[in-house]
Amino acid sequence: MKRIIRLNVNDNDYEVAVQPNQTLTQVLREELNLLGTKEGCGIGDCGACTVIMDGRPVNSCLVLAVQASGSKIETIEGVAQGHKLHPVQEAFVNLGAIQCGFCTPGMVLTAKNLLENNPNPTEQEIRKAMSGNLCRCTGYQKIVEAVQEAAAQIKS
Amino acid sequence: MKYDVLNTRLPRVDARAKATGDARYTDDLSMPHMLYGAILHSPLAHAKILNIDTSEAKKLPGVKEIITAKEAGPIKFGVSPARYDETILCIDKVRYVGDEVAAVAAVDYETAQKALSLIRVDYEELPRYLNVFDAMKEGGVAIHDDHPNNISAEVHNEFGDIEKAFAECDIVKEGTFSNKKQDGAFLEPQACLANYDLNGNLTLYSSTQSVHYVQRTLAMVLNMPVGKVRVVKPYVGGGFGPKASANSMELICCLLSMRTGRPVKMCFSREEVFMHSRARHQFFHELKVGAKKDGTLVAVQNKCYLDGGAYSSFGIATVYYAGSLLTAPYKLPNYKYDGYRFYTNKPTSGAQRGHGSVVARACMEQLLDEIAEDIGMDPIELRLKNIMEKDDVTCNYFNMSSLGARECLEAVRDGSDWKSKKGTLPKGKGIGMAAAFYVSGAGYSIYRSETYHATAMVKLAEDGGTVDLYTASAEIGQGSDTTFTLIAAEALGLKYEDVHVHSGDTDFGIDLGAYSSRQTLMTGHAVKRAAEDLKRQILDVLAAEFQIPAGDMDIKDSYMVFKNGTPDFSGIRTKYIKEHRGWVDQPEGDRLTFREAARIVYLKKGVIVGGGAYKPDELGGTFKGAAVGTSPAYSCSAVVAEVTVDEQTGQITVDKLTDAHDCGFAINRTNVEGQMQGSVYMGLGETLFEEVKFDEKGKLLNPTLGEYRIPTMLDMPNVNTIIVESDEPNGPYGAKEVGEGAILPTIPAIVNAVYNAVGVRINELPVTAERVFMALKEKNEKGKE
Amino acid sequence: MQLLPKFEYYEAEDIDSACSLMSRFQSDGKIIAGGTDVLVNLKEGKIHPANLISVSKISGLSGIMEQDSHIVIGSHTLVSTLAEDRLIKGEFPMLAKAASNLGSPLIRNRATIGGNIVTARPAADLIPPLMALGATIELKSLDGTRNLTLEEFLVGPGQTTIRNDEILTKVILPETAPYSGGDYIKLGHRKSLEIAIVAVASFIKLDKDGMTIQDAKVILSAVAPKAIHAVSVEKALIGAKATAEVFETAALKAISDCRPISDIRGGSEYRRDMVAALTRKTLLKAFKEVMGEKIF
Repeated sequence: MKRIIRLNVNDNDYEVAVQPNQTLTQVLREELNLLGTKEGCGIGDCGACTVIMDGRPVNSCLVLAVQASGSKIETIEGVAQGHKLHPVQEAFVNLGAIQCGFCTPGMVLTAKNLLENNPNPTEQEIRKAMSGNLCRCTGYQKIVEAVQEAAAQIKS
Repeated sequence: MKYDVLNTRLPRVDARAKATGDARYTDDLSMPHMLYGAILHSPLAHAKILNIDTSEAKKLPGVKEIITAKEAGPIKFGVSPARYDETILCIDKVRYVGDEVAAVAAVDYETAQKALSLIRVDYEELPRYLNVFDAMKEGGVAIHDDHPNNISAEVHNEFGDIEKAFAECDIVKEGTFSNKKQDGAFLEPQACLANYDLNGNLTLYSSTQSVHYVQRTLAMVLNMPVGKVRVVKPYVGGGFGPKASANSMELICCLLSMRTGRPVKMCFSREEVFMHSRARHQFFHELKVGAKKDGTLVAVQNKCYLDGGAYSSFGIATVYYAGSLLTAPYKLPNYKYDGYRFYTNKPTSGAQRGHGSVVARACMEQLLDEIAEDIGMDPIELRLKNIMEKDDVTCNYFNMSSLGARECLEAVRDGSDWKSKKGTLPKGKGIGMAAAFYVSGAGYSIYRSETYHATAMVKLAEDGGTVDLYTASAEIGQGSDTTFTLIAAEALGLKYEDVHVHSGDTDFGIDLGAYSSRQTLMTGHAVKRAAEDLKRQILDVLAAEFQIPAGDMDIKDSYMVFKNGTPDFSGIRTKYIKEHRGWVDQPEGDRLTFREAARIVYLKKGVIVGGGAYKPDELGGTFKGAAVGTSPAYSCSAVVAEVTVDEQTGQITVDKLTDAHDCGFAINRTNVEGQMQGSVYMGLGETLFEEVKFDEKGKLLNPTLGEYRIPTMLDMPNVNTIIVESDEPNGPYGAKEVGEGAILPTIPAIVNAVYNAVGVRINELPVTAERVFMALKEKNEKGKE
Repeated sequence: MQLLPKFEYYEAEDIDSACSLMSRFQSDGKIIAGGTDVLVNLKEGKIHPANLISVSKISGLSGIMEQDSHIVIGSHTLVSTLAEDRLIKGEFPMLAKAASNLGSPLIRNRATIGGNIVTARPAADLIPPLMALGATIELKSLDGTRNLTLEEFLVGPGQTTIRNDEILTKVILPETAPYSGGDYIKLGHRKSLEIAIVAVASFIKLDKDGMTIQDAKVILSAVAPKAIHAVSVEKALIGAKATAEVFETAALKAISDCRPISDIRGGSEYRRDMVAALTRKTLLKAFKEVMGEKIF
């Protein structure tokens, strides 16, 4: 039986009727048409489905939509302000941290969340915080450099 | 040569869309009235299909169509026409756990999955062959009737006189090297959306590396005129080879759309990616390398068994590449290769980054290290002693029209501080190196044809001074859209942002797609020619307009420039401003803008399109299989790896990597570095972690990204990335490949570093901690005897 | 899309309603906390409960507090909290270390200590340090409360002595005595997103002069159906002098304390050799902690 849940996504309030077995990934993509959150594996192994839930980055493929009722969710669509990119996004664009782009929404959200909690991370702290987000294209180096650049930009 | 937009670090044209989540990949697409498809897979590795009963499944509410081989038909397809051995759905037998038996279209995925569980299939099991050694035994059941000995393809080449050559060697080393089946492990699973419309036109949106090969396959198998089949590639989340050929899901999806009259979407689960991706083969190499005592390389003998899985796919090319790519970058006058690709009852293997040559190179570089050690020569010195130079030709007729191999070796030697580290590191720490070369596009298309390998059109916009570039090439993450935008902008003299690229659509022309690292060189040429053609047409019109020779004019940074002083263009400006009454950003200043000039050209000519096409010259020798491995140009690369090995557990940490890659000319420096780092990364993963595992019934044991391990951010060190530019005469602006080559030396560099650290030579991938520990244990026990 | 099978979902408001729902559904009901194990098992078809009962909105089920020289951890406390909490890092660094290596940062932000214990994977990350530290758990049902040690609670892979209508509510750890130290090492292939090939948790308590081992707990995991004590190692350590030689000899005894299988993560011979290596390493590190070094 469907039930009504309330989600706050990117500062917008939604009321959605969902099945108990729908994941947060499915509801974001199929009910709210927020297609930036991707599914790479469905079982928490890759991080492509990362969203920020109540201030913490999580695998949305392992959150039931009904579990997320009442929560504050941030997806990739909520990061830029209109056409003004967040410093993390600017750094990713300028430093070559994006190739195929499929891991990018998850990477951007995890990095943004990291810098909000730790504005001056060491390289090791960056790598540890983002070690649940897999990338097959870049080898991670330019992603790490972009996060360091974003940290510097935010500071100044 | 100083360029305006080339060789810089301009951001990718698609970066912002990807950074914001705006980029649409195939599974993000939908159409009204869309159905969802699902595939029924064989649970058995080898069996006859006796009967398929879909009656219960058909009754399920929400099911709109079910197909089996009866509806799918008997037309065979594959990659190489010489080896078309697949049908959309299995007709009389299944050949691996995962082989496609039936398919369903329903109103949602849940219903489609439920319908699959209601289809009853009766099988009669056949003996299964899960490795090459079982498959090659006499007296077995042929997996394909027309290949009674289960050999899918075999190659035999000899160059020079191998027996005589070995007899003349002072030192001969023999060794073996093998890997396991490995996977592309791209983050985006394949997906497709097919729409067969009311006019009988079929459009397929698919996560593919080649819209052209998919289009041809669809037309052939579905028995439709090519002109009624269009294939479009949305954003793709990585390919690495397995997405370079048409797959059954694409055909099934189209067929379901044709039969239901509705759009149909399908996508692979991660498990299905492992089942259906034609990824890296398992190779068993036996190599013999002979040299003189001063280190001169004399002869190499290479025998290889390839485990091809149930069908051919790219395999006929793979078995050639497993041999042909050892003849450089070192001078080698004598070479013998015998390769055998076997069918087995496992998922099919095809092309993956470095196609066919990866394990051969690892074996060769390990044996070269053994020779160096035996004769007391530094490994880098040994390579330098034998290194080929520009214009050298290999014994199998590959022409090194440019080759920065010496530069690559010296760059990694100096960049890694090799001289001070080699031989001085404490026990448990090691340094190792390797070098390799690779093709810049296959010299011949996979089907025999005189077709162009790439065509491109550049259309001048009627207003606004921009151009639209049309290419059927595939941006799969490697940056080709950006490469072609830059080439067109440079050739035309326009600002980067004034070129709009449209790609990945069979409506835009012919392009063989993103495989064998061909696009920068081949499509790049086509784009450059199209842009130059357009520029000629533009300057011809302006020459008549200004009564100045076309050769005295040029376009730079979206402005017109004149050799002998700017002519009076006030008339042009006045006309332009009058036509654009109401605009606020009217052109001003003493330079004639391109948008004004372009407007004149439109008013004079109406339609201005530049066209360019490329196909390589006839390449290669005349022996059988000479075509494979030929290329208009070859890249080369070298890697130095530094590792720490924990002898208590066998765990390897790669501390540092230095990579030098000769890409001819870096169209975009950031993107070239990104490709180098990505290819090295994949090499690290395939060395340390990656293997696809099967149980004794042929079922996949680890079809997840948790148990098929690609390195995380904590496993991959930074790479000292050194671009070498040797200026390739056969490449546009001197450019040649960078997407694949770097993986080849990475694997043996790490393996050689492990030997340097703890004294064991591992010749089986992946080099897991357990493998290292057991090798050390055996070595220590032998030492005690 | 990896789909979930159909089920009914209940959001329990308090422990009593959770227990009565579980009592009603018996084996057709399953508690879901973070969901990082339950939802994976559901997607992979390993479990098929018709009803999921969520305990995430029950107040008072998460948190870390000191109580009568014990540290009480609510069962719904997030693994990421355990990894970062000052009290845990100060008092039980090996537990914080284990928490910080569980899965990935994204998993840790949903996984709970209670979930890790009840799911009872043979390679569960939090169980070995908890056992080494002498943890007990509190289980509540409609009939009342009971307390068990982890040794009493764990039965085998995915199996515990939890009753159908019970909820795990608290994990209770005695504060560590002076002159004690511990370490946990998880052997994986990669440095993140791993399930242990082998893992060992060691905890030693020395006497006042820092020379003799008064108590030792060495827990081996992923080498048996559940985490086990390396009984002969513990026996060899207690009463012995705390030296590298003693640790070395004792560690080798771990090999005979377990009978690991070969599976997709590793071979049995390698696992046996690794229990010895990891026992030795963790004992040496535990000793360093006794001497005042920070191990995490």
